[in-house]
Amino acid sequence: MSLLRTLLSSSNFSKLIHRSTNIRTVSIIPPLHLKEIKEIKEGNDIVISGHSFESARVPYLVKTSCDDSCPLCQLNLDIKHTDVLILSQFVRSDGCMLPRRITKLCLKQQKKMSTLVTMAQKAGLMPSLNPEKSKKDPKKRFGWKKHNKYFYDA
Amino acid sequence: MAVLKRVQQWATFARIWHIYDAAWQNPFESAGVLKKYLTGLYKPIYHPMNDCGDHIVVINSAEIALPGDEWKKRVYFHHTGYPGGATWTLAWELHEKDPTMILKKAVYSSLDKNLQRRYTMQRLHIFPDANVPSDMLKSISNQIKQLRLVPKRLDTYSEEEIKSFPKIYDYPKPYILK
Ligand SMILES: [Zn+2]
Repeated sequence: MSLLRTLLSSSNFSKLIHRSTNIRTVSIIPPLHLKEIKEIKEGNDIVISGHSFESARVPYLVKTSCDDSCPLCQLNLDIKHTDVLILSQFVRSDGCMLPRRITKLCLKQQKKMSTLVTMAQKAGLMPSLNPEKSKKDPKKRFGWKKHNKYFYDA
Repeated sequence: MAVLKRVQQWATFARIWHIYDAAWQNPFESAGVLKKYLTGLYKPIYHPMNDCGDHIVVINSAEIALPGDEWKKRVYFHHTGYPGGATWTLAWELHEKDPTMILKKAVYSSLDKNLQRRYTMQRLHIFPDANVPSDMLKSISNQIKQLRLVPKRLDTYSEEEIKSFPKIYDYPKPYILK
């Protein structure tokens, strides 16, 4: 942080900004990887270290033939809003849809998946993966929302 | 009359008892199927003047499902007959007052409008949950197939099942798991 402050205070840097507004090339935090934080106590010292580990999804990945098109287009599945085991893969733990740079889907499939995820959440089929302030248990929802519903998914 | 023929006669004209699980079923689609069994339309001996309808026990009628936002769009009209006696009740409000009413009304309006309709309705036994009197359960000999699949909630799957289900994609290398 001090590095950035000194850069900003110096007159040289303000000229630099005029030429190019890209300040983000200055990286203060190292890029974050999927890491496990371990605490080891050695006498009076505590060593905190991060270990990168293999993703749990690797052994269960579906094999796709080529990288030109997205995995869903290649698999050609007829996904409904009741297929919660597939839909839950595109969702963060707070129920938000993951962005396209992470899901690696094409725009068409990404839009399709996000509507299906919304349908599944409204039908109460993914109670643990619902927005934070919503009533997760469908039976506790207000008024007409507490009753069972289904959707016509094209 | 031979013994076999006599038994065949009984079996043909006896009333059959069916059971139907209404959980996650559309009541209006179900009504078309229930009507067929209630009036005996599926029997080769069917005739409008021949009283050959069956009994149906419907369970879990509180768990019926409607498509989209139909719970707040469908309106039930009633008029007491007095001035200003008209009421409009939404489907979800009616369902909270009586969880058997929507299915009952759906079957009633799907039946032919004649004098037999009230007697046909007497053969329909709707229960909001699975608590059916045991004497009624004893006479049941057939189950009517559900029209739509009952969806399975994500929290009913075990952790192992969710973990070992085929994955479409993997997280990119620099990724913070949330
Ligand atoms: Zn695609």
